[in-house]
Amino acid sequence: MDSDYRLTERPGLGMATIMARKGIQPAVIGAVLGFLPPDGPERAADARLALIGTGPGTWLALAETPEADWVTQLANKLNGLASVSDQSGSYVVLRIAGSGARETLQRGVFIDLHPAVFRSGSAATTVIEHIGVVLWQLDDVPTFEIATFRSFASNIRHWFELAAAS
Amino acid sequence: MRLPCPYCGQRDSREFVYRGDAAPTRPSSEEGMYDYVYLRDNVPGPMREHWYHAQGCRNWITVTRDTRTHRISAAVLAREDSR
Ligand SMILES: [Zn+2]
Repeated sequence: MDSDYRLTERPGLGMATIMARKGIQPAVIGAVLGFLPPDGPERAADARLALIGTGPGTWLALAETPEADWVTQLANKLNGLASVSDQSGSYVVLRIAGSGARETLQRGVFIDLHPAVFRSGSAATTVIEHIGVVLWQLDDVPTFEIATFRSFASNIRHWFELAAAS
Repeated sequence: MRLPCPYCGQRDSREFVYRGDAAPTRPSSEEGMYDYVYLRDNVPGPMREHWYHAQGCRNWITVTRDTRTHRISAAVLAREDSR
């Protein structure tokens, strides 16, 4: 198996969940944010903010270079349209990149990662080794990122070591 | 078994919590509460049932599944299920 990949942590990201209020369509939120939030399990981004679809009307928001009050700013912008909850620090984002990234990840998830069905921009909320993860593909290297709860991050890293070794 | 989540797509049944028959509706009074909580038909054939996608999008879905073959003919978000 091709196990040529690099696993790195992405420190310093800002993270928040966005939950649309009842009846508020993604386009309404998009009009405020300046780009359309994905209406399915996909990733959309501008230069400052990335949104990962995690369910109908719910997104994981990631800020690359967050200002101290970015969640408050976001919550104020979306006031009345969506609930915004700061998750910075509760999730860890791991990056898995390289020619063997897809094959290694495929050993851990029940979903089909074949490039015909899971490609750059695709996302999924699922499990690796019973641990909840949000997973998305960034580019065709391929580069994947995984958000998982901080207290489980070392277990996920351990799983990657075992998967690559076997 | 795989279930077609309307949001996530085809997913292993182990990602879901099974709740059973979607037919019983909560009675407005105490009368009928016993039947609502405890009594179930053992349906041989297509049945509408509730599943919770606990390890995915965290939505309740209504699945129409043939209990004899596991053939699934429909799956919708429970919140959009018009019955
Ligand atoms: Zn789902």
